[in-house]
Amino acid sequence: MLASLAWKNVWRNKKRSLIMILAIALGLWGSLLAGAIWMGWGESMVNTAIDRDLSHIQIHNQKYLQNKEITNFIPDGFRVLKETISVPGVKAASGRTLIEGMAASPISTFGVKIVGILPVEEKKVTNIHTRLIEGKYFESNDRNPIIIGKKLADRLNLKLRSKIIISFQGLDGSLIYAAFRIVGIYKTESALFDQSNVFVQQANLFRLLNTEPIIHEIAIRLQSSRLMPQIYNEVKTKYPNLSVQTWKEIAPEIAVTSAAMESFTYLFLSIILLALLFGITNTMLMSVMERIRELGVLIAVGMKRIKVFTTILLETIMLSLTGAAGGFAIGGITIAYFSYTGIDFSAFASTMESFGASPTLYPFLPMSMYIALPLMIVITASLSAALPAWKAVHIEPATAVRIY
Amino acid sequence: MKIRYSLFLYYASLISFNTSSNAETPREIVKKANELWHGKSSISVCTMTVIKPGWSRKISMKSWMLEPDYALILITGPAKEKGIVTLKRKNEIWNWIPTVQRIIKIPPSMMLQPWMGSNFTHDDLVRESSIVDDYTQSLIGEEKIQGYDCYKIKLIPKPEAGVVWGKLIMWISKKSYLTLKINFYDEDGTLVKSMIASNIKTMDGRTIPTHLEMIPTNKPGEKTVLDYQSIRFNVKLKPSFFSERNMKRIR
Amino acid sequence: MYIALSWRNLWRNKRRSLIAAASVFFAVLLAVVMRSVQNGSYAYMIHSSVKFYTGYLQIQGKGYWDNRSLDQSIVINKKQQQEILNIPHVISAVPRLEAFSLVSHEKVTKVSQIIGIDPILENNMTELKKKLVKGKYLTDSPDGVLIGQGLADMLKVSVGDSVVLFGQGYHGVIAAARLPVVGIVKFPISEMNNAMVFLSLPNAQNIFSAYGKITSLAIMVDTIKNQNKVYKSLKAMFNNQYTLMTWQEMMPDLVQGIEIDNASGLVMLIILYIVIAFGIFGTIMMMTSERAKEFAVLISIGMKKIRLIWVSSLETVFLAFLGAFAGTVVSLPIIFYFHYNPIPITGNAARAFDTLGVEPIFNFSTEPSIFINQAIVVLIIALATALYPALFIGKLDPVKAIKS
Repeated sequence: MLASLAWKNVWRNKKRSLIMILAIALGLWGSLLAGAIWMGWGESMVNTAIDRDLSHIQIHNQKYLQNKEITNFIPDGFRVLKETISVPGVKAASGRTLIEGMAASPISTFGVKIVGILPVEEKKVTNIHTRLIEGKYFESNDRNPIIIGKKLADRLNLKLRSKIIISFQGLDGSLIYAAFRIVGIYKTESALFDQSNVFVQQANLFRLLNTEPIIHEIAIRLQSSRLMPQIYNEVKTKYPNLSVQTWKEIAPEIAVTSAAMESFTYLFLSIILLALLFGITNTMLMSVMERIRELGVLIAVGMKRIKVFTTILLETIMLSLTGAAGGFAIGGITIAYFSYTGIDFSAFASTMESFGASPTLYPFLPMSMYIALPLMIVITASLSAALPAWKAVHIEPATAVRIY
Repeated sequence: MKIRYSLFLYYASLISFNTSSNAETPREIVKKANELWHGKSSISVCTMTVIKPGWSRKISMKSWMLEPDYALILITGPAKEKGIVTLKRKNEIWNWIPTVQRIIKIPPSMMLQPWMGSNFTHDDLVRESSIVDDYTQSLIGEEKIQGYDCYKIKLIPKPEAGVVWGKLIMWISKKSYLTLKINFYDEDGTLVKSMIASNIKTMDGRTIPTHLEMIPTNKPGEKTVLDYQSIRFNVKLKPSFFSERNMKRIR
Repeated sequence: MYIALSWRNLWRNKRRSLIAAASVFFAVLLAVVMRSVQNGSYAYMIHSSVKFYTGYLQIQGKGYWDNRSLDQSIVINKKQQQEILNIPHVISAVPRLEAFSLVSHEKVTKVSQIIGIDPILENNMTELKKKLVKGKYLTDSPDGVLIGQGLADMLKVSVGDSVVLFGQGYHGVIAAARLPVVGIVKFPISEMNNAMVFLSLPNAQNIFSAYGKITSLAIMVDTIKNQNKVYKSLKAMFNNQYTLMTWQEMMPDLVQGIEIDNASGLVMLIILYIVIAFGIFGTIMMMTSERAKEFAVLISIGMKKIRLIWVSSLETVFLAFLGAFAGTVVSLPIIFYFHYNPIPITGNAARAFDTLGVEPIFNFSTEPSIFINQAIVVLIIALATALYPALFIGKLDPVKAIKS
């Protein structure tokens, strides 16, 4: 009975209630969207690095982490690779042959990391093939094709189809020099990465090294990043003698930025909720003031004060929940829509160094937020009801009735 | 490659070039010129001057060479570097530094770094890149260099050869197969650096150029110069001479 | 006359006026808090990152950054150093002589980055002393070296052992020295851990024959806002004699992450403004409709509508200014409190920050412009809402209003 009374009260002053509901709905929609964008961006930064070369999980020979010598390859690497691919939850895995070497052109030299890949397999795990700004991804018939970053090409004054001499130490310690032909030039958002990483076909390296196929790194891409902790444990227990790391261990600075974003999202949502709280309190206070005579009469004719309190409380909660429902509905739809199509942030990107590919953002909100936020709304609403309800309870019927 | 040429100058006329020279292929010409610079063994004294815009440095050294795998170079001046020894065995290089009493092996990543601050790299000291085998040679004309009639030969690197150059042009004197000039080009045909030999003298009975300049094209005011004071050829040297122990003992 | 009237009107119904002013008050408060945290964190992120090694700005020799050659080292004499420190907003100027050379111990030789430092100045900026895990800092033993832990492990050295440095010095002169290891430092970034060797600047200058020279002077500014001013002053001082690099040029990958943060922060702020706007509007709206009868009476006894509009507008103006002023004044101590007692970040985010050696806190900025700007924005919003009472009065039918 009180509930329906409260509900009717809410709608007695349509304009005011609508404004409040609109404010709550918009405020919530905005916060949800902003939060989702922020989370989406954090995830996008992480994904960019994961897609580019980190992947979710990496396996190495334990000695390799200390000393990146060519001799520290993964023992029986191809068997491990095969087994890893068959683990449920793993989308794809690729084995890489890594060698620290030098790249030379007629005018300059530079230290590089030579990454020997199986182009087709690597495509499933990382996305260098989408970052080519010139040339093609290993489609030529050259004997030793190579793909280098734009920064390195500029540094060595080379271009597409140029010859680049790669030198490195073989397994027996001897120095190997080989001529490679640049078939593709890539560009990522990290100039440092572009400068240091060159990609070649594994088979060419094995021929130059005159060795059986060896790999130094297995990069694993999962179906979803949520599976990471579980698969990480699985792989770690399966290969106790190998080093197994998640991308967070390999690149902690990226983990920091994305974690920081989450904290900030909660902080700002709290501030916005506080703003809503004050708004609601104000509104309800006004509403109580407006009805002070009426409430006075009700109390005078015998309505229990606790019932008055509850009515005000219910009114506030209903107001808030209606607005919240609206905000959630619109917010949910908007987020769902954008998480499907993505938001193009190239407008912002123009102020920074241009990306290799256009930066599309996929906003999303973790489940936890969808639960936490309604809770925060209800709490906010209840708190905002406090003052007005208190006021209502302390009305002196005698004075109230006579108020103009 | 460059130092090897400059440190191994041999008198060619002992080898029979007087007969059937007309039937020579460019490859053979280059081969003979190359063999001039490689001998069996030698001991030489020379100075290397590094000239950069604004400063220059002179290093004097004494070298023992046993072709093709062994070399020992002792720095005899200036004072701060005196006593430093560079040892090459096959394609590995070590340095003995008396001031810290240590032998240090040069890791692969340093091989392309300059040797003793010059325009030559460690790699130049050791690389077996064969001008005969890694390139295809063709005769493109005849020119007079420093008063000598020379063959002008073009060298194009074979596809698998691990050399940065797009093309080389060599001027080799007809009579004595002296390499008087080499131009180094990138794949676009741009001249990147030149080596020029001059000051032909007689040393230990052989006629050889004793002044070599390595001049990079795009670095004005920069070059490296080698001057030979004396060379002895066909000296008795054994591989065992080129040892860690000798690095410390040599004077 | 109108002013006096409006002012008295306000105080006639204290409660109502206070509630309306309160909505502006809280709006300003929250806007200031949000902007302060945003600006503060932005500045904090940058400050922590540049403090790590590069500094905000660096004075270097022309061409040094691309070649890293000792031949491009520079001289900055005592007088110039003092001049630099005298530039307003400069906190410190840290000299370094950096070179690559071989570091060797027994049979192991590694290419390393040798950095000659002023131990005290360096520590003031990067807190290098804190990273000491074994042995002593350079101030106690100026002839020794500090080695990164990764490098120490690879060379198999511990405190007390000697290492040999061998490389190329200024103008190609050979650099060779035997130095005792007096301490081992640990960096959170493995690239630094595996390659860095620190020694005292005079020692380095001697070994590399670079007497009186440095390769860079790293400048720390108090906060990012003043970077440009300091840049201009330095540019004027050295006038093209040397190169002046900014952290944006030295760490381009960092720039993007931070700029994105900033952009999304603005989105949040706009949402806050929307919520605030609705809150204030709702309050004003209710206030106005509550006084409908009062207005109707005034109009029917002869007050011209336009004058009434003027009076009520003035009331709104007073309320807005009152609220804004109060909000600004109250926000000052709050912001300053949190500035000196920052709120800590907890959970995953905190751990992530720790791995990088950065203190996990929400940093509040006390820039005066924050207070002024936010107060102005909220004021504008509040004044915009004054349109409603004006319109309301304009449309008011006094007869109907009195009857209701």
